[in-house]
Amino acid sequence: MKSRLMASKYQGAVAVLVLLLLLLASCVPLPLDPRWASVSLVDNGQEIFFASHDHVTLIDPVDGSLVELRDSSGNVRVDSETGNALTWRVQIQANPATVFYYQPITIDANTLLLPSFSRRFYEVDVEAARILNPEGRLINADTDTSYIVANVLATDDTLYVPLSEGDVTAVNRDDYSERWKFDTEFGVWAEPLLVDGVLYVTSLDHFLYALDADNGDMLWKIDLQGAVASTPVYADGYLYVGSFGRKLFKIASDGTIAAEFEVKNWVWGSPALASDNMLYVGDASGWVHALDVSGRDMRLVWERQVAERAIRATPLVADDKLVVASRDHNAYWLSRDDGNELFRRELVGEVLADMVVVEPGENVNIPEPYVLISTMANDEALVAFTLESGERRWAYRH
Amino acid sequence: MDFILNPFITLVTFLYSVLGNNMVLAIIVFTVLVRLVTYPLTAQQLRSSKAMQQVQPKMKELQEKYKNDREKLAQAQMELYREHGVNPVGGCLPMFIQLPIFIALYQAIIFALAATPTQLLDLSGRLLLPGLDSAIPMNNSFLGMNLSQPPNTGNPIALAIIGLVVVTTYLQFKMTSPAPQKKTDGKPDQGAAMTQSMGTIMPVMYGFFALSFSIGLSIYFIVSNTIGIAQSWLMKRNQPPATSVVTAPPAGARDKTARPAKRAAKSK
Repeated sequence: MKSRLMASKYQGAVAVLVLLLLLLASCVPLPLDPRWASVSLVDNGQEIFFASHDHVTLIDPVDGSLVELRDSSGNVRVDSETGNALTWRVQIQANPATVFYYQPITIDANTLLLPSFSRRFYEVDVEAARILNPEGRLINADTDTSYIVANVLATDDTLYVPLSEGDVTAVNRDDYSERWKFDTEFGVWAEPLLVDGVLYVTSLDHFLYALDADNGDMLWKIDLQGAVASTPVYADGYLYVGSFGRKLFKIASDGTIAAEFEVKNWVWGSPALASDNMLYVGDASGWVHALDVSGRDMRLVWERQVAERAIRATPLVADDKLVVASRDHNAYWLSRDDGNELFRRELVGEVLADMVVVEPGENVNIPEPYVLISTMANDEALVAFTLESGERRWAYRH
Repeated sequence: MDFILNPFITLVTFLYSVLGNNMVLAIIVFTVLVRLVTYPLTAQQLRSSKAMQQVQPKMKELQEKYKNDREKLAQAQMELYREHGVNPVGGCLPMFIQLPIFIALYQAIIFALAATPTQLLDLSGRLLLPGLDSAIPMNNSFLGMNLSQPPNTGNPIALAIIGLVVVTTYLQFKMTSPAPQKKTDGKPDQGAAMTQSMGTIMPVMYGFFALSFSIGLSIYFIVSNTIGIAQSWLMKRNQPPATSVVTAPPAGARDKTARPAKRAAKSK
């Protein structure tokens, strides 16, 4: 009798607990990926490098299939147990928390460097698609809550690592030892830009910093009236960058603001600059702004709300067209002249990652340029459309 | 949910900017404000809970009397509720009305403490007052800890915060849950036993949440629990003595809750 009473007592408690857990589950937002995928081209587009979540892959631009692993004689390597062809895919088995969202850095002909969100560098044997240092090399060990949240900038001898909290760290390319570190109040969430020995670093602390790339000494800084999470674009002595202060700035290389333009919401992506001095930028309200930046000013040519949700990705200039993609699950082809929508393509997921164009070439057997669009949905992790007409060619499922 | 969430996020951000860019202060003031605004609902919930507790012995008597006639039992129950001015859903309804508010409060803190690019991007467009964009990102460091991250168990301050979550959850539960009762036949009541076990499990569960979620949320738990404790204490202090709606227990049953009824019966 007593045990029955105890059992019913705990059954009730368990039922209430389950209800509480369900309630709390509804309180907590669904876990989001910390960042969006990175898409980049290898060997002039011969292969597409795709980094997202816990693994990185090489994709064939022709049909979106995974690139097969080959031995030194060029023969496809097969799995000894299943007999299936092995594909180029790198994953950290030992540490499931290690995730990759960044462009790889080529160390030498057979070694790639993969930066991870958890602030570690992993070296990869390209031929075998195998990680050479499974523990990774920790960058900036002073902190335990900072992450790499943007691409690492690589030069011949230095890697400039942006970190989510505080600073940008310059490390030697050969042994990853620290050369210098520059602190900002908040994090550096965008890849730094290097122009003529000056490293331009944007920070969430609202400032754009110009640093001496050799030693990290600050040359100047300028307040952009809001957090800055994008890499500036540089052309003809001017930097173009937007901020969360709902403004786009044109900044002279001496650190003075030449012109500013008010947009509708936060600017997160870098602007796109066309060869005819037209600058295009999207904002978090789904507006696209087209500005003539010839001369010292910025003159509005057109602006319109294209998408229902944020445009994070940098717009893509393609002859007389502009391609923009949004969190509203659409990619839009616009007329560069007036911003009119020419056509749109619906996607399964939100688009946050920058788009990439792959051109036909000697070793790239595609009939015309493709635009590669990565979405946050696994079913359409990467989709290829023809750049000109927006015909869908293939989709890579994550 | 955005119609509640976005004003809340805006309020947290506003408080942060007017309180010297102090996120902890913003969370405390924000939680206090929301708990004060929802106080009438909380008070009603506590009053209903108390009233229900007071008619329970009579209710059990009716259940015994009409155990073979559900229809008559229902009629008698409604009559009892009417007689004593008890609304049977009076305890649940305010709770359900408050639920989306507390979920929004909880989520507003998570959004405001955006720790990754996707979280920060989700914050765009949620600020309803012009000029608050300049407060982004919010400074999330507190006593050397990052408010947007789960606590590091090696840090004694973080451990103290987890301990406070557990203790305040326990105290709040104790203050708001009805006193354990026994059945009229003297046997322990299953509902009361379950309440008792919940009183043990819930603080442990919240301690687990405090370990897993961001420290900012633990601050919210502590402040919210403390206000809940204070509200319950104030209500109990200002409440008139319980009215006699219970009947005498069977001979030999030592039921504390029945004692006022005995006294009330004598006074009649």
